[in-house]
Amino acid sequence: MTATDTLAPRSFELFERSTLREFEEIGALIGLRSIITSTEELPSAGGEPALILRASAVAVIANPWIGTSTEFDLQPETVRIAPVLAKLLTDRLLDAVGGAQRVEAFGKAAVVGLDGELEHAGALIHTPYFGNLVREALGGTSILCFADGRAAPGGNIRVPLWHKTAASTRSHYQSLDVSLRDAPHTDEIAVIAAVSTGPRPHARIGDRATDLPVTSEILKGIAL
Amino acid sequence: MNIRKIITIVEEVVAEGGRPVEPAARIAVVAAVIDNPWHGHGFVDDLSDGIERTASELGALLAPRVVEALGSPVEAYGKAAIVGTDGEIEHGSALIHTLKFGDHFRTAARATTLLPAVEKRAVAGAVFDVPLKHITDATIRSHHQSVEVRIPDAPHPHEIVVGLVAAAQGRPQQRLAPLSTEQ
Repeated sequence: MTATDTLAPRSFELFERSTLREFEEIGALIGLRSIITSTEELPSAGGEPALILRASAVAVIANPWIGTSTEFDLQPETVRIAPVLAKLLTDRLLDAVGGAQRVEAFGKAAVVGLDGELEHAGALIHTPYFGNLVREALGGTSILCFADGRAAPGGNIRVPLWHKTAASTRSHYQSLDVSLRDAPHTDEIAVIAAVSTGPRPHARIGDRATDLPVTSEILKGIAL
Repeated sequence: MNIRKIITIVEEVVAEGGRPVEPAARIAVVAAVIDNPWHGHGFVDDLSDGIERTASELGALLAPRVVEALGSPVEAYGKAAIVGTDGEIEHGSALIHTLKFGDHFRTAARATTLLPAVEKRAVAGAVFDVPLKHITDATIRSHHQSVEVRIPDAPHPHEIVVGLVAAAQGRPQQRLAPLSTEQ
């Protein structure tokens, strides 16, 4: 049984409003337990604005599919829950870094608790109901790179990021080490979105435009 | 003082024990990763010079940030110093156990009590738990709580992580009898 089985659905306007405050009711309706937003700031000298901010937001919700079989249709709960997760997470990321115009790279992840299926994690992040909304809120056009898994609470997950409009931009290949303290419980799913306002520090390994053609031919006479 | 990075964490809890928490329980953490001021100087007998150069500036940096990150009146607070493996725990204690450091937070939070603290020596990415107590009466049992923190890639052996934590309330679903009622 889920909330939708027992209660008539109610409509909420979340397009215009922020969910930074007064989100408790919508949180309860999607089984939310907590959201943890972490921001890493690499300061510059002389009190100038921060050079690079990297932020992650982790929402922990009850797994709506606990006890269902591998035949169970995941779509209805995905359509109901994933857009709200996208909104809750991106509101916090944008607040942390100062707006979509500052976001340069993005990524996403989901970790399902031990009583769930890996497919349950995927259902919350690998559909347009999450991905399209995250992409739009963060002002991107690229496909979102991701990590997923099933784990006990208290681990860490490394969330990959790449450039939000030009995914092959090598300077922006990076990842964020995100803590999952006390989550996900066996009947929960942790859903994560992450951003960076810049490239890796001191990125200097070239790019596609500057690469020479490289094939296994170079193994025939490699200089060591 | 050389800062490598500053971390801000905001936790919002809306359910605990299977019941709603409303309004959301908020806790904020702000931590700076700095060079250990005494690194490379062997055993330093008198730490006062490094304290003088670092503690007040660090308190002034972190205190307004953690109050702003919480975004609500502070009801409970705590602090942390995690020393990299080349340093002494005493180095971390030196930075946080002075009025020069703590008074910035007490002023920003309108607090009067001593700040509970964790001090330990650890590798980068170690987990540490920061104890919190009520800001004006450390015997208020509802506000005894702790928050788990882990900072990736810090502290390096020559660094110290110094952090402040603020909570807008006591424990979610707190329901223990007050100390004063106990026989």
